[in-house]
Amino acid sequence: MPKEKKNVWEMTLERLDATMDALSIKPGMQKYLRQPRKTTEVSVPIKTDAGTIEIFKGYRVHHNTNRGPAKGGVRYHPDVTLDEIKALAMLMTWKCSLVGLPFGGAKGGVVADPTKLSANELEHITRRYTFEIIDMIGPEKDIPAPDVGTNAQVMAWILDTYSMDKGHAVPGVVTGKPISLGGSQGREDATSRGCVYCILSTLKVMGIDSTDMDVAVQGFGNVGGNAAKILHDLGFKIIAISDVSGCLYNKGGLDPFDIDAHLKKEKTLAGYKEAEILNREDIFSLKCDILLPAALENQITEANAASIKARIVAEGANAPTTPDADAILKENKIFVIPDVLANAGGVTVSYFEWVQGNLSYFWTKREVNLKLRDIMEKAFYETYKFSLENKVDMRQAASMLAVSRVAEATGLRGIYP
Amino acid sequence: MLKKIECFIQPFKLDAVKDALIDAGVEGISISEVQGFGRQRGYSEGEKPNKNVKFLPKIKLEIVVDEEILEMVTKQIVKLAATGKFGSGKIFVLPVEDAVRIRTKESGISAIT
Repeated sequence: MPKEKKNVWEMTLERLDATMDALSIKPGMQKYLRQPRKTTEVSVPIKTDAGTIEIFKGYRVHHNTNRGPAKGGVRYHPDVTLDEIKALAMLMTWKCSLVGLPFGGAKGGVVADPTKLSANELEHITRRYTFEIIDMIGPEKDIPAPDVGTNAQVMAWILDTYSMDKGHAVPGVVTGKPISLGGSQGREDATSRGCVYCILSTLKVMGIDSTDMDVAVQGFGNVGGNAAKILHDLGFKIIAISDVSGCLYNKGGLDPFDIDAHLKKEKTLAGYKEAEILNREDIFSLKCDILLPAALENQITEANAASIKARIVAEGANAPTTPDADAILKENKIFVIPDVLANAGGVTVSYFEWVQGNLSYFWTKREVNLKLRDIMEKAFYETYKFSLENKVDMRQAASMLAVSRVAEATGLRGIYP
Repeated sequence: MLKKIECFIQPFKLDAVKDALIDAGVEGISISEVQGFGRQRGYSEGEKPNKNVKFLPKIKLEIVVDEEILEMVTKQIVKLAATGKFGSGKIFVLPVEDAVRIRTKESGISAIT
């Protein structure tokens, strides 16, 4: 029986309510934490290449800024809604809190399809959107970053618009910018690296000290592709990689570098010689030790969760597992490294980029990676310890830990005036 | 964060120090027999020093630990290596950037625990 699809904001609130109840947070504080601090909706008019006027809708939301300035991506996608942005802003609050970064949560978006816009039009949208939210952002207030449909170039345009308005260069206003404008070393594969550190810590707590393990990676974009390469280098066997076109499978192991080269040439996984080609759904039922969903939301569902044979699921993507599927994984005793932890490497290196920008002093890639490992391991072991002490799973532990810290900070600051 | 302890102690204190460090959670110690002198230039109390220094036998311990247990470990060494006399030894603490366990390729703290 098909269930009515719940609104993403309502789903996020439901999860938060359960967490706050488990933490016995008082009703007043519960009300406070449920609401975004600031919600802005703007119109973004541009003159198109054809000379016509088009109006786009843009949003920027700050959820909670009691632990520091707001931090969160900007996405350009035709399906962007205010509810989605509110939910994602709240998730950023929890993610920054869990990893111990001194940030609150934010998110922004423009309802636009970047694949149907020219570079020129994208620049106009970005600059006008930046101008419309310019009072909300800044290195001490809110630091945007790339998200779905945006990239380093878009960050460069935001940086330039903001800097021109202020009259001097302000590199700390965005992260995920090009290295030539003050971007950080190691940003590109930061999310993947963070995810790999979580996997290694998981093996450690399971008492497994071998990398002789079979890994299936769903999605071969920035997160999945880099994670496959890093794991391959560490000696893990990548037995399957899938993307929209299908699933490559080789029991003896795939070479992600070779697949990347193939993908760059052919633009699709199809036609790759060194593997069996399966349906893309098959990735979820293969016999493997570690499954790494690194594609879109809601991929592990009630329909396929029971077929998963992996011992560890590392959520490289955001919200790849539906709540129903999550219950099935739990029942099957699969160790899930929740998204809020497993993909926090990206925002962690964003934090490093912000710190480096504010100091005007830049680190080497090795320094960045070692500091990233320290932060990820600390967050992992704190979450793991909490889950053991409170007899909850990693996802619940992560959200309880994150929410409790924000509640504490909010309580300590009190209510102004 | 990983830290390395390099310490020099009297050879007859080794057994007591070793046992205490294992109890404190240290998972690996390397030792070597070395010779050295310190501020006393190798002369004990009551001896009349001349211009030559004397190298005396010592045991050097090399231990890499997580910062979390560092203080406990150094405290134990100070407590158990003390002789009450000159020449008890020294402890040096060094930052360690990284570590790798060769068999498993584990790195960082995982490599030493």
